[in-house]
Parts: sequence; C-alpha cells; structure tokens
Amino acid sequence: MSVILDGLVTALQPINLLLLLLGALLGTIVGILPGLGPATGIAVLIPLTFGMEPVSALILMAAIYYGALFGGSRSSILINTPGDGSSVAATFDGYPMTKNGQAGQAMSIAAIASLFGGIMAILGFIFLAIPLADFALNFGPAEFVLLFLFALSIVVTLSIGNTIKGFLSMFVGLGIATIGVDLQSEVQRFTFGVPELIEGVDFIVVIIGIYAIGEVLFNLFNTNQPKATDHKIGSKWFTKDQWKRSLAPIVRSGPIGFFLGALPGSGGTISSLFAYSAQRQLSKNPSEYGKGKVEGLVAPESANSASAVGALIPTLTMAIPGSGATAVMLGALIMIGVTPGPLLFEDSPDMVWTLINSMFIGNIILVVLNIALVGVLMKVLHTPPKVLYPIILLLSFIGVYTLGYSTVDFYILLIAGVIGLLMRVMNYPVVPLILALIVGGDLEQEFQRSMVIYDNSLGILFASPITIVLAILTLLSLMYPLMVTWFKRRKRKKQPPTQSL
Amino acid sequence: MRAFRLSFPIFFISLSLIYMIMIFQLPPALLGDPDAPKYFPMIVAIGILVFAVIDLVNVRTENVEANEDLATLIKKDSLKIIGVILALCVGYALIFEWAGFLAATLLFLGALMFYLNGYRRWVLNLTVTLIFSFSSWYIFSQLLEISLP
Repeated sequence: MSVILDGLVTALQPINLLLLLLGALLGTIVGILPGLGPATGIAVLIPLTFGMEPVSALILMAAIYYGALFGGSRSSILINTPGDGSSVAATFDGYPMTKNGQAGQAMSIAAIASLFGGIMAILGFIFLAIPLADFALNFGPAEFVLLFLFALSIVVTLSIGNTIKGFLSMFVGLGIATIGVDLQSEVQRFTFGVPELIEGVDFIVVIIGIYAIGEVLFNLFNTNQPKATDHKIGSKWFTKDQWKRSLAPIVRSGPIGFFLGALPGSGGTISSLFAYSAQRQLSKNPSEYGKGKVEGLVAPESANSASAVGALIPTLTMAIPGSGATAVMLGALIMIGVTPGPLLFEDSPDMVWTLINSMFIGNIILVVLNIALVGVLMKVLHTPPKVLYPIILLLSFIGVYTLGYSTVDFYILLIAGVIGLLMRVMNYPVVPLILALIVGGDLEQEFQRSMVIYDNSLGILFASPITIVLAILTLLSLMYPLMVTWFKRRKRKKQPPTQSL
Repeated sequence: MRAFRLSFPIFFISLSLIYMIMIFQLPPALLGDPDAPKYFPMIVAIGILVFAVIDLVNVRTENVEANEDLATLIKKDSLKIIGVILALCVGYALIFEWAGFLAATLLFLGALMFYLNGYRRWVLNLTVTLIFSFSSWYIFSQLLEISLP
C-alpha cells in the first residue's frame, strides 16, 4: 500500500503534474485532428521525452496516449470523423447527438464515461497487474516462445476479413526483425554492408514512418477527407435523466473494455465496438440506437478508456503491446531505458505506481480540460491540414534523427512511410507488422534457446502446463477466423432465399 | 486496378524467394549449430511465400471490391503529390548534415509549405516556416540539449 501512496506523492510533484497537463492537452489536440490517433501522437511527440527522467517521460507519454483517446472521441462526436479506430463507436450516437444540438452534452457525458471507465480499469490494474507479473516470472524460453506466438496469432486473427494479409504483414515484420547481428551466433544478416544496420532496424523508426509519414501521405492525396463543419455546442452539461440512463452502461462497459484491452492485440477498437454492441443487444429498444441515444455513446466511451489501461498490463508485465498505441509506447519505454517485463514491478515499483496514479489524476484533468475547453478545442479542428502535415513530417525527421543521430534512419523512415501508405490503401493490417517487429528479436532468441534445451524437437510445446495452455489458445485463436466464416455460411444457408421483385 | 492488386502478392512472392537465396548465402555460425542463424529466417521466408501465394489466389478469384483509396492513389495527381513530397524528404535527408539542421529545415519546410499551399499564401508559408524551424531548433538544440548538425 505504501508503494501506491509513494507513487501518488511522485505523481503529484509539480513537474509531473505539469507534464501530465501538457501531455493531456497535446494528446487531446493530436487525437482531435482527423486521421491522427494515439499511436501517431506518441510517435510524433516522442522527442519531447528526451532528456527527461524515465518516470516523467512515462507520465507524459501515458498522458498523450489517453489524451489522444479522449480527443479522438471529440472529433467523432463533433464532425463524425474518428481520430482512430477506437473512436469509431463514438460516432454512432455521438454525432447524431451533435446534429440534435446536444454537442456539449454529448462531450461532457462522454468525458465522464471515460473517467469512470478509466477509474474502474485502474482499480482492476491495481488488483491484477502484480499477480500477472508474478505469474510471468515462471516463464522460461519455451513459455515465452508460445506467449509471443499466442500474441501474434491474436493480433493476426483479429483482423477478420484480412487474416491472410494479417499473416503476411506479421511475417514481413518478423523478416525485418531478422536484419542485423544474430545475438546467439554473432552472424551478420541482411545488412548489405551498411554499418548502421548491424544493430538491426530500429522499430521506432519504422513505427514513426508507418504511422506519421504514412498517415500524412495518405491524408495529402486523399481528397475525400471530411471537412470540418460548424455545429452548435448547446448546453455544456448533461441532464439528470441522461446521467441516470448512462450509469448502468458505463458500469457495465468498463470491465468489458478492461478485459478486452488486456488481451494482447485486441485494443480499443474491439473493446468499444463490443461494448456498443452489447449495450444495444441488452436494450429493449435497439432500433433507437444510432439516432443520438446517450447509452450508445457512453458504453463505448467507458470501454475505450478502460481498454487503454487494460492494454498497459501485457505491455508493462510481459512487454507485449496490446495495441498500435501501446506498441509505440513500448518502443519509447525501451528507448528511455525502461525495460518492461515481469521484473518491472519488482525493480521499479515506484515507476509503475507513479504511472497508475498519474493516470488516475490525468483522467480527472482530462474531464476538466475537455469540458472547460470545448469551444477552444473545436478551433483545433480548423487547423489547415496543409499547414499541419509539413510540421508532422518535420517532427518525424527530428524524432528519428535524435534516436540514432544518423541520416540513414531518414531513408528507413521514408521507406516505412511508403509501406505504411500502401498497406493502408491495400487494407493490409499494420499492427501485426509492428508487433512482429517488436517481439521478433526476442522470439528468435527464445526460440533458439528452446531448440537447444529441447534438442531441436517439438518438446517445446509440452515443456510445462503453461506452454500446453498457450499452444491450445494459439490454436484456438488461429481457428477463430475459420469458425467465424463457418458460422456466417451456416447462418446464410439457414436464411430463406430472398426473391427479387 | 486488379493488376495493381496482383502486384502486391507477386512482390511478396519475389521478396520471399530473394530472401531465401540470401539465407542460403549466410555464413555458418562459428559456435554451436552452424545453421542456427538460418532457421528462423527460413521459417519467415516460407511464411511469406505461403501467405503471398494464398493472397495471390484470393485476389485472382475474388470479386474486385471498390477501393476508393486505391483508385485515388493511382491517379496521376496523387502520385505526383506523393512523388514531390518524397523527393523533398530525400532532399532534406541529403542536405541535412551538409547544410546543418537550421538551414536544411528552413529549406525543407519552406519548400513543402510553398508546394502545398501555393505562392499566393506566401505570408502564411513564410511565417510557419520561420516559426517552426527556429522554434524546433531552439527546443531541441537549446532546451533539450539534443545534438543537431
């Protein structure tokens, strides 16, 4: 308990509060801009953390992260344009509320829903993170191999409809991870004589390229981007009736978001869509959803916010990011000298609990910010994209240069940007590539160690009860898209054939 | 459109084959199993090949879905915008260390702003270029003490 209180004291230090406020504000601004999500926000703003104490850097990045999630929902509500996938569900009833002249109410109740979702998830984190970290201490090479495979399989198979492309994306990510020296044998692989590649491709460079450069290129050629429109804000505070109707969906959706968020790879998009869908199915009048029903807005908002905290569990305890944004955050953490993993809670409990406490305070700050600055935040939406995008390009270059002080990284950044653009246009999911790139090196090392221990046999699968369970889970997750397709076909067959008129 | 879509799996198939050739050319490990550095890349290469072939079959057999983004991307105007921006970025990379951060950034940001916004909005272009070039130099180089050329 004293560690938690120590964390609270550190989080309340003026410099950390200031960084929290700055991160929340910057994150909200980034999130509110159409096309830019939390992952891009953290990637672009990473250079701000250079030279900071690790705890302060972590607080700033986390604030940018959940600030961007908040911001993403603002643009969903105001202009029907989600900042990223996790804000999509907020458009369903949030934007109709705006059209009904309830923009202020929608934004304030969404902010409160996010706050409660976040608080529920933080409580879940307090009780579950340490047992999970302790459990992870039992992991040896074989367990880690299976865990990485399970995480990769979930990420791939969750891209339903694009599973084959997801696998391709994952294998390409693993392929990029093989560039550089093999740490076991010290053999140089695929470096093409470029000394900068001996240590491998820095995944932060690839992440910034794919998210920031890719997004900018996509938005610059894509003239179909929705344009900002003016809507009346209306009352800034929600009514008693709206609050009464919201309470149950908020309380119900928080845990949903938390548990789905804690699953590697599921992220905020699935959490919020699942919460929306569950809320709609529980309703007596599902047909009212999508027309500005407050329950349809608060459920995904609560889940989205909770999933952000949930996603930090695999990120911090097992170094397995739960989403694109946490993947970027994981990279940034490693860069500033923090090693996520089971030992993080033993080695740096102060850091972890400071982060958790800062998230609690940050959620409150965000609610105040978002309600008080509704009018000001709306002005951000009117920043001309052709002013904004050159600045993002510049920040990306600076960020990448400061990682390795080498202009070779500029070219890798641009290649990654083009890859990101093409993947987006051709509907290749990006997250499997990013996750594979991040865990690829460790996966190979643990794989090689396991092969030595188990004499190049499949004994690795039966090394312990954990590996058996993980192998079964991996198999089930790989079968999931097949099962979905099978159920869909069965449902289609059961439906009577429709006659054309 | 279909040709463009087919080019992706074909690219991945070619990539996996080249990757396999490169794997066979890797030097043996001096310690332990000499082929140890090849196993994992080989699994990856086979993975890319298998899923690229499935993707190729899918693209060939599936109905071509309307892909507005792809249709917009392969237009001449879009390719020109992307080409010019990438060229400016490469130019920035080339002159960055030679000209120094501030001069290179002024040129790069200025060129981008004028290209995207046109010459008529020269006041905006110059203001943004000057403010962001100098402020980024000041923040990163002076405040954060990051060594910039």
